This record gives sequence, C-alpha cells and structure tokens, in this order.
Amino acid sequence: MLATKNVRLVLGVLFFALFSAGLISCTNKGQDSENTVVVYVSEDQVFSEPILKDFERQTGIKVKAVYDTEEAKSTGVMNRLIAEKDNPQADVYWANEPIRAQVLKEKDISAPYVSKNAETIPDVFKDREGYWTGFSARARVLIVNREVKSEPKSIFDLASPKWRGRAVIANPLFGTTTSHIAALFTVFGDERARAFMDSLKGNEVAISTSNGESADLVASGRYAFSLVDSDDAVNRIRQGRPVKMVYPDQGERGLGCFIVPNVVVMIKGARHPEAARRLIDYLLSPQVERKLAFADCAQIPLHKGVEIPPELKPLDRIKVMKVDYEKVAKKMLEIQPFLRKWAGLK
Amino acid sequence: MIKRLILWAAALVLFISGVLPVLSMFYSSLLLDGHFSFSNYLHIFSSEREWILLKNSLTLAFLVSLISLFLGVPLGLLLGKADIPFKRQLSLILCIPILIPPYIMAVSVDNCLGQEGILRLFLPGWVLRSLSDHYFGLGGSVFVLSTVYLPIPMLLTICLLKNVNPSLEEAARLCAKWPLVLKEITLPIIRPGLTLSALLVFVLCLGEFSVPSYLRYQVFSVESFTQFSAVYDFGSATAQSMPLAVIALLLLVAESRYSRKNLFLSTPLVSGTKRLEIALGKSRPYLFILVSCLAFLIVIVPLLSLFYSSLDLSIYEEAIKVAGDALLRSFFYAFLGASLLAVLGFLSAYTIKNRQIWCWRLVDMTSLFLFAIPGTVLGIGLIATWNNPWTQFVYSSLLIIVLGYLARYHVLSSRIILSQLHLISPSMEEAAQLAGAGWLSRMVFILAPLSKRAIMAAWLCVFLFCLRDTDISLIVYPPGCETLPVRIFTLMANGSPGLISGLCMLMVVSVLVPASILWHLRWRR
Repeated sequence: MLATKNVRLVLGVLFFALFSAGLISCTNKGQDSENTVVVYVSEDQVFSEPILKDFERQTGIKVKAVYDTEEAKSTGVMNRLIAEKDNPQADVYWANEPIRAQVLKEKDISAPYVSKNAETIPDVFKDREGYWTGFSARARVLIVNREVKSEPKSIFDLASPKWRGRAVIANPLFGTTTSHIAALFTVFGDERARAFMDSLKGNEVAISTSNGESADLVASGRYAFSLVDSDDAVNRIRQGRPVKMVYPDQGERGLGCFIVPNVVVMIKGARHPEAARRLIDYLLSPQVERKLAFADCAQIPLHKGVEIPPELKPLDRIKVMKVDYEKVAKKMLEIQPFLRKWAGLK
Repeated sequence: MIKRLILWAAALVLFISGVLPVLSMFYSSLLLDGHFSFSNYLHIFSSEREWILLKNSLTLAFLVSLISLFLGVPLGLLLGKADIPFKRQLSLILCIPILIPPYIMAVSVDNCLGQEGILRLFLPGWVLRSLSDHYFGLGGSVFVLSTVYLPIPMLLTICLLKNVNPSLEEAARLCAKWPLVLKEITLPIIRPGLTLSALLVFVLCLGEFSVPSYLRYQVFSVESFTQFSAVYDFGSATAQSMPLAVIALLLLVAESRYSRKNLFLSTPLVSGTKRLEIALGKSRPYLFILVSCLAFLIVIVPLLSLFYSSLDLSIYEEAIKVAGDALLRSFFYAFLGASLLAVLGFLSAYTIKNRQIWCWRLVDMTSLFLFAIPGTVLGIGLIATWNNPWTQFVYSSLLIIVLGYLARYHVLSSRIILSQLHLISPSMEEAAQLAGAGWLSRMVFILAPLSKRAIMAAWLCVFLFCLRDTDISLIVYPPGCETLPVRIFTLMANGSPGLISGLCMLMVVSVLVPASILWHLRWRR
C-alpha cells in the first residue's frame, strides 16, 4: 500500500516537472518562431487588439503584444523598449503619438523602414528618414458641457478670466498633454509659452489624472470645458453625455488644431524583421484607418478619401497647427524640469 | 549531506527569485549618472510631496487596519463562537472580496454609484452624486480596502478561537457573563493573532497600488509605479518604496517577537475537544440581520452591480472570447506557482522550525520583507536582473512571472505549513530515524503526510493569491503572456463598462471555484 503511494508520489512529481518543462519550452519556441511578430502597443488595448487580431487572421502571423495601462500614461512600453535596448524583445512599436517615436530614434532604438502604404500619407506625419510613420490621428479638441451658453473656441480661453476656475486639463507631465504643451513651446517660443502656462495656473485651471477623467468631469458638469483628445470627446458624445466637441483656433488667423497621429516604428535588431515589415504595411493601410475611424476611438484617417463617421471632420477640413514633430520631441525633453516644477513635483 | 543540499537549494531559490532583484534595485537606486549617490533618498526627505505621499500611505493603511480590525473581530466572534444561523454561508460571502483582485471591488462600487448604477433605483440623485464625489479619494480607498481586507482579522479570529482552551472560559463563566469572559479571557488570549492580522492588513495596504490608483488617491505605491512606468526611473522608484518597506518590515519583526513571547497562551487543542459556544438568546435574530445586512451592503450589492451592468448574454460571449487564453494562462501560472511554493514553503518551514541551516532566521525575515515591499518594486527588480541575452529563456517566458510569485508569496506558504509543523511531535521523526529512515524518507513519508492538510491549504491559499496577482504580472509579463487580471486592467482604459463588468464577473467566478474547495476543506476539518 505504502509502496503504491510512493510510486504515485514520484510519478506525480515527474509528471509535474515534465509538464512544466514542456510548457516553458513551448512558450520560448512560440516567441522564436519566424511566423511571429512581437509588438509593443501604446494605443488603448480595446482599440488596437481587434486590429492586430485581424492581421493575424489575414496573414497567419501570430501577434504577441504588450499593452500599456492607463496608469503608465502611454509611456510604459516605450520605456520598456529603452530598457531592452541591448536585448530587444519587440519587433514593432505602435505608439499613440509621434513624439516618443522620435525619442526612440534619437536613442538609436528604432530602425528605418519606408512602407509602400505610406506614400499617400502627408509628409508632415512621417519621419524624413523613415524611422516612424504616422497613421490614424487624434485631434486635440475642446470638450464643452452643453449647459455652457457661449462656448470657448480657443485654447487661450483656458487663460481667460471669463473661465476662471471652470476649466480642467490632464496632468501635463503625461501623454498627449505633454506633447501639446511641447508643441506650443516650439510655436510660441519659450518665454511666451512659459507665460501662457503660468497664466493657466493663475486662472485656476484644474489638473486631472488623464484626458479621460477631464472629459468625464466636463460631462458631469463639474467643469465647463477641457482640452482633450478627440477620441475622448467622441466617446462621450456617443455615450449620450451632454457635451460637444470644438476644434480650437480655427479662425483665419487662428493657431490651428494640434494633430496627434498614431505612429508605427520598426525596432532595431528585431528578431522577426519580415513579419514586422508586414505588420507595419498592414497598419499603414487605408482599411486600418477606416476601422479606427469607425471604432470608439474615432480617429481621423491620414490617407485621403477614407470613409469616416459623421462625428468626425476629414483632415482637409481642419485647420492644422503647423509643427515639426522632431522639434517637438526635443522640446518635450527640454521642458520636463519646467513641467515638473509647474505641476508641483520639485 | 543531502538534507543540507536540499535546504540550501530552497534558500537559494528564495535568494534568486527575490533577494537578487531587490539588491539589484537597491544598487541602481544608489547610482546617479553612473556615480554613487544618495540623491534619490535625499530627495524623498527634501520634497514636500514625498512627505504628503508618506502621510497619505500611512493614513490609508492605518484607517483600513483600524476599520477591518474593529469590524473583523466582532464578526469573527459571532461567526466562530456564537450560535448565529447560516454562519458558514455568511463567512464565505464576507470572504469573497479578498479572493478577487482588489481593483475589481473598486470597479464594482463605482458601478453602484454611477449614473447607470444599481443604486439609482433606490437612492435620490443628490445622495448618489454626493457619495460618488466622496468615493474618489481617501474615502473610497478606505471603504474598498476595508471591505477587501476585512476577512483577514475575521478569519484569524475564527481560527484562533479554536485554539483557546475551553477550560479557561468554563472557569470564568462560573462567575461572569460572556461579555466579561470575552473581554478578560478570550480576547487577551488571542490578542497576538489579532495584532498580526492588523499588521498584515497594514502592510498589504501600504503595498496596494491598484485601488488608490483607480480611485486617484496619491500614495507611495502609485507614485513608485508611475516613476517606473511613465518615467522609467528605476532609482527613484526603488527609493520611493523603501520607506514603506522598512516601516512594514519593522512592524512585522516587532510583531514576530511579541507573538513568540505570547505563544504559550494559544496552544493547540486535542481533536475532539468540545468548544464553548455563545448562546445569543433573544438577540440572535437581530444579530443575524445585522451581519446579513453588512454582507449584503459591502459584498452582495457591489457584485450585483457588476452583474447588473453586464446583464446581457452577448457581453459574456464577448468576455469569454476576450478572456479566453488569458484565463487559462492565469490558472496555469497560478498552478505552477502554487505547486512550487508548496514545496518551497514546506522546506523553508522545516528549516525555520528546526533551525537547520545557519541562516534560518534570514530565510524567515527575507520572506517577510519580500511580502512587505510593493510588488511593483519586485517586478522592476526582476526586469533589471533577468533582461539580458544570457537569461533570455527566463525573461521571455512565464518563468519571470513564476519567479515573482515565488518571491512575493513565499511567506504565506511557509507560515501556514510552519504552524502545522509546530503541532507535530518531534518524536514521530525521531522514531522513524531510529527505525533507519533517512532524512528524505522522513520528509516524504512522515512529515509531508502529517502536514498534508496544511500543505493543501497553503497550496490553495497561494494559488488564489497568484491567480489574483496584478502588481508583479503587470510589470513583467512577456509579450502575449498576460494574465486575466492584467488583461482586465489594460482593457479598463476606454474599454466598454459592460465588457469590463463581464470580465470582472468571470474573474470572480474563476476565483470562487477553488476558494469554495478551500472553504469546504477547512470547514470539514
């Protein structure tokens, strides 16, 4: 009886060890296979995952993804890429804005790749040397509560005494708000931009943790308006919340609306270069832009003639803020100490 | 020889999985631009914000410990010692929050209070708005975490009451009523255990990041995670975790010494000894209603709200589709982690009990320390240690997650098994030794079978903790290998509330099945 028990015990341990070893080896094998592509994604998983699944279905290439969380403020995986520079795990990086892709280029983490599908994308949304290429964009817009009678029309309204204590923006240390402020620094010059930021403080503009929270605060009537991404605004409009979306500074002499495209980046030393190129081609195709336009993220296509939902304006009907994303990226790093101080961190 | 080899190997696993990453983090926190510097630590004490974060962390942990202790102990007394009806069912319901990832409770309560929430059917709009306003911040964090950790003092009270010698209570009952007996005899006897439960809650709250993060309450653990994820500042992230880790460790060490001194008070009973039960008399139905209302309010209503907001078959179809492989992976990782931890915990418990290797105390303290530090720091350390071409097989496979589990939850398995080893008479092992059994045979055929129930309990307990783990998995998961709690967490950014609720319900059910088995085993005993 005891002997049978012992045999069972030994067999159990052996089975467990073999099972574990088998599974572990399978995990590694999957990642080393040529028919796999590893992608790090800063775009929200809820929008990016269906696109990657479609790619898997169409090409048979297995996609292994790492997604950012809201708490990581869309920069977590980019920083993971930096940490993995000497031992890269990813083949492709799908960033939700071009600035951080530019940072990766400067840190020698990305590799050039010019996709044939990028030919009809405007040059302003592409890196000159092919280190990153933009697609499906968000616009930085004002979300305004419907109860507000005379709506704000410019980002300068954030600093207007008329709106004292009635506006909110996301923490400028993170996400697209940082990029937007860096873009303002490149357009205004340092002095004027610093003065503008200080005037926001003087005008009691509240700080939220994210653009999503800002949009909710406006929808609930706590604040009159906020500067958010167009997907946050469209999302609340589709939910039936009492808000409207205003493209800011659209007048003839207006500053224009800051556009934030998604970008795709090839990683230097990618283990699956061929699969990576196919994924990049796919992401830059008009069919992906159409899907992202009709998804809840409501992103604006950069290819001309792509069908869009009624809530969106096509890119050629929006007055776009003229910026050089390379300069914006450099400025973003430069103004970090100022922003930390502005946000009260140091 | 083989004994020392195996016990040293177990200690080495703990060192590799936990100590090495933490040392690597500590080292990097002392470097600034390649030079030795204390600036990361000096910054903590020079910045006003850091003091505010420290105050917030301690306030949150203190309030949650206080509330869960003051609610948990009376509940434990009622459910463990009184003749309240349906005590088994009520205990299980009240334990549900600790079995699921804490942020799911935060989402559930948020669902109740939201514009589409279940409470709008019962409460006027202005009350809901006011509750909702106070929910985000300290108030909500305290409420959610108190609900989540309430089962710790409650369950410990129930367990400890079983070790109180009834003859002491019987003698006291001759001249006093139950309230006085509880105050003067029972509670003082179980006080060390209750102190431990309060400290455990305190330590778990200090390291908790998902709930304060969701409820936008700024604490050290959230800041540490942000430093890593958004700024990738290893040094700063580690430095920010150290004050909390040191506070937690000091408290646990103090408690450990205090408990050792008071160990004689709670001695195990011989099985079959009849325990005294408190007859509640006329107050029985009222107390039953009170406990039921509490369980209904803090557990059933939030879970019903989750269910209510996912009340559509198509949502569950989608949730199962989305969760699919992540759910299976979660189970497998938890199974692997729990199995390894059961073996490791058994060996460590043996080492600690019999002081078999010179560093036995270090093994004990290290496992406590690894439990006390925030999971995010451990995760960061694991990346820093294993992300290089030579250890690719660890970094790019599930091993990296399992190593995290081994380090983080080792203390749970070793402590549970240690408590059982203390109850086994040394004469059993000595008799086998005299009969010629070697050490390995004694371990496998004498001690392991005698500790079978404790090993199973440890396995299930650790399995549940691994299954609900978010802190470590979120940081280290290799591409395409995320667990279900991680998948829910990443989908929460702009995911549809219905789908998130459906996924949370799926997580709740997945955890409740093994938990019910554990409950059945414990109750049958």
